[in-house]
Amino acid sequence: MIFRIFRKELLDTLRDRRTLVRMIVIPILIFPIITNISAYFAKSEKVNASEKVIAIGVVEATPRQLSAQLNSLPKGFHIGKLNTFPDSLSLKKAVQKGKVDLGLFAQILPDTSIQQERFTWFVDGTKEGLEERATAITQFFQLQHETQRLQQLGIRPEEIHPLQATYINCASQQKMMGQVIGGILPYIFIAFGFIGCMYPAIDLFTGEKERGTLETLLCAPIARWKILTGKMAVIVFSGLAAASFALIGIYISSEFLGLSLDKNITAEVMKVLEPQFLIYSLLLLLPLVVFFAGIMVPIAVSAKSFKEAQSMIGPLNMLVVLPAMVGFFPGFELNALTAMIPVVNVVLATKALLSGTLAWIYLVEALGVMLLLAALSVLFSYRQYGKESNLIN
Amino acid sequence: MIQVSHVSKSFELTRQQRKEFQTNERFRTAVSEVSFQCQPGRVFSLLGPNGAGKTTLLRMIATLLVPSEGHIEINGLNSLQDAQLIRQKLGFLTGSTGLYARLTPIELIDYFADLYGVAHPLREQRKKELFELLNMHDFLNQRIGKLSTGQKQKVSICRTMIHDPDILIFDEPTSGLDVITAENIIQLIRDCKQRGKTILFSSHIMSEVDLLCDDLAIIHKGRIKHIGTMSDFRSHMQANTLTEEFIRIVQSNETPNA
Repeated sequence: MIFRIFRKELLDTLRDRRTLVRMIVIPILIFPIITNISAYFAKSEKVNASEKVIAIGVVEATPRQLSAQLNSLPKGFHIGKLNTFPDSLSLKKAVQKGKVDLGLFAQILPDTSIQQERFTWFVDGTKEGLEERATAITQFFQLQHETQRLQQLGIRPEEIHPLQATYINCASQQKMMGQVIGGILPYIFIAFGFIGCMYPAIDLFTGEKERGTLETLLCAPIARWKILTGKMAVIVFSGLAAASFALIGIYISSEFLGLSLDKNITAEVMKVLEPQFLIYSLLLLLPLVVFFAGIMVPIAVSAKSFKEAQSMIGPLNMLVVLPAMVGFFPGFELNALTAMIPVVNVVLATKALLSGTLAWIYLVEALGVMLLLAALSVLFSYRQYGKESNLIN
Repeated sequence: MIQVSHVSKSFELTRQQRKEFQTNERFRTAVSEVSFQCQPGRVFSLLGPNGAGKTTLLRMIATLLVPSEGHIEINGLNSLQDAQLIRQKLGFLTGSTGLYARLTPIELIDYFADLYGVAHPLREQRKKELFELLNMHDFLNQRIGKLSTGQKQKVSICRTMIHDPDILIFDEPTSGLDVITAENIIQLIRDCKQRGKTILFSSHIMSEVDLLCDDLAIIHKGRIKHIGTMSDFRSHMQANTLTEEFIRIVQSNETPNA
């Protein structure tokens, strides 16, 4: 009988355009495309900034030798026109007004025995990549002067560098990518899992009360817990479907729309679609989505109207989304403490799973906590659903 | 048979409701010390103005609400202990009953047939009979949301009767319907009576009551003001019309006659 109720409620839910939009269209299309497009433009901006021909301003008093050196920089530096300014103040203003991209004020330091120069760069910090260009020019000159001076002293450059260091990254490709994608994927899972649950919860409980269909259903010779279970199963299904569609959406947009920045990310998303990972993430996500349903149902049951239910459940979104962002920050790991915090434990466990650093004891602890919370929330839903005052307006 | 004995129902008022009703009372009594009996093959009418407590009383009989005091028996079954068995034998139709707008009538009827555990061969036969009787063939595969009010009420009736219940409760079933659809419903209630069903009918339309009922009870502010047979009611009338007599009883301070 529970399955019969589930079947009917699912059919009813799937025929509702608003639910379909929230469950399938939004997760599949809008979010991944927006993310990818913004990432694409961010990348284009960075590429443009490094290849753009820039105008450099210098103070007139700067030794002519430096202006000549700037003009003779290799083509890869994309240096355009050189403008001269009477003093550093006017140079700074020119940078502020965007007349030149970079301003260089060079001074020869008073200790003549060393012949040291100081470069002061004027940069507009809001413009992408200009500071890096200034640093590159400085480093180029630095190397040029060093080499010349060493030659004058008859020293080979290797002689003043007795120590050579090489850094080898021991983290596996999986761990590295897990750090990157491990924050995003559980966030998407959780955010869409919540959104996916929200509308059916309101529709199947508050909506039914508002439309006057609840009375007929309660008149049927079915135990109320069976009705509740059938309806909650649809909410959970919808939450899991929305989370899965979001994942599929990311894969489609990165693989077929060519918007992905990094093929490794696509490969990592592909790995998520492997049966083993799917089973583990389902194991983590299922109690979480049941928990979501378990907190939404009592609210939906007690609300007098659809609007009231929406205004009560909507703000809960923030309570879920904020802890779900923990995966974006470095330094947070699944441990005995974090495994006890709902939402946070699922995010960190998924991240650790993707990185291949999962400690099974904490996974068991996180699962135990989520199962307990899911059970308590379902029990609370059952109590609220049985209340006369909540059932009949 | 429906046996209602000394039934009362009080609701706890929320803070919001106490503000609305401008009262400090924690509870409000909707039904107080109500007793009556409905016999098979007879139509018992529950009459009363809006807010009299009719719907609360019918919901208690339909096992949707639990009485605060007293007890209700249906075909010898107690409404508290045997609620599920009672629901199996009961059909409840109200004028304000909603339907699942995104389903078709046929999907809805099949769903309720499943919930009531109606076996397949019997179900097909019942569907055929009811679709014929209510002339529903033209709109069986359309979404309910797109049907007219009359068509929706026919679907509601079909839903109420798919399991062929022994007890039928009609709470203002003709409210908001056109004359033809209302007449169809009156005819259907008459058919059920002839088939020996126990029928409890609530209304505030005296002409319908006059047409259908064998017994009646007038309820006002949760208390029975009059109870007896329809023929006794007619013969002891002090006013000129049934409606005037109904108003006279409701407004009087008389104690119940039975």
